Amino acid sequence: MALPNKVLPGFSATLYCQPTATPTPLTTANLSVYASVSPIVITGNLIPVEAIPAFGQDDAVANFNVAGSRQSDKIPTQSAPTSMTITAAWNPADTNLLLIRGDAYSGTVDRTFVISASDGTGIVNYAFNGRVGQFTVDPNPTAEAKCTFTIHPRGNQYGWSNNA
Amino acid sequence: MATQQNVNQYAKAIQAQLAGIITPVPVYANFNRNFATQNDFVTWQLRNVHQPVYTGNVQSVKGIDTPTFQMSVFSTTMENSFLTANTILQSLHGYSGLFGGATYGFQISKADVVWLYNGYDNEINLFNIFMDCTLYIPT
Repeated sequence: MALPNKVLPGFSATLYCQPTATPTPLTTANLSVYASVSPIVITGNLIPVEAIPAFGQDDAVANFNVAGSRQSDKIPTQSAPTSMTITAAWNPADTNLLLIRGDAYSGTVDRTFVISASDGTGIVNYAFNGRVGQFTVDPNPTAEAKCTFTIHPRGNQYGWSNNA
Repeated sequence: MATQQNVNQYAKAIQAQLAGIITPVPVYANFNRNFATQNDFVTWQLRNVHQPVYTGNVQSVKGIDTPTFQMSVFSTTMENSFLTANTILQSLHGYSGLFGGATYGFQISKADVVWLYNGYDNEINLFNIFMDCTLYIPT
């Protein structure tokens, strides 16, 4: 078990959120501890999203140009975890979509989110603390209504973990 | 959380709804021997029952169901087949609400009817018109 040791289909990732309107997000250290993260990864906390967008860490670099030096230099800096714009099929009464909607309305709720990917036995979790900065509903008449929300992770507050 | 609805319920609802629209013209789920004795009748067949599936291993993460049923309108006269097809078109196209009557019905957001083509079958001596109807079923 441990980390899934296979190439996974993009399909295998699922998004979960911490429950309740006023959650206590995990500490930065615990975001990398599987035993702390895994209680969030339950069906009741599932967000019914269509597809998980790119997640992980943004690129960030500082450019230095020194007078008299022939070449400039690029130094990677501590970059932020990437913001995620996510689309979900919209059920207005879905408990977790209501939490997202509430977070967007507040703008100041810190919540732990977990993206969990599995090959059936091994599980890898990417956990981060974030705030919701957007909540829109797209009522395109050709398919189900969809809501789109953006989660902005707090700086440096993310971690990877896997089952043992 | 979008659950898959019972396709048996779809079938009963389609039968009930069509029978209600075009009564007294009989409605059948499949073609049968009635062409020999009946001047007008309609058959239907269900296909493309499908909810799009979304990411992750949880079964309920899906979109809405959009099944299609094809109606075949048969008649010994071309006018009657067109009149029956028109009755169905007027009643179903764009319809929103309870589909399938009080016993078997469920709410649909919209019914979308496409009148495909008409023709004549020389072997059974019947004019025919084929129509597709897609249901948008919130789940």
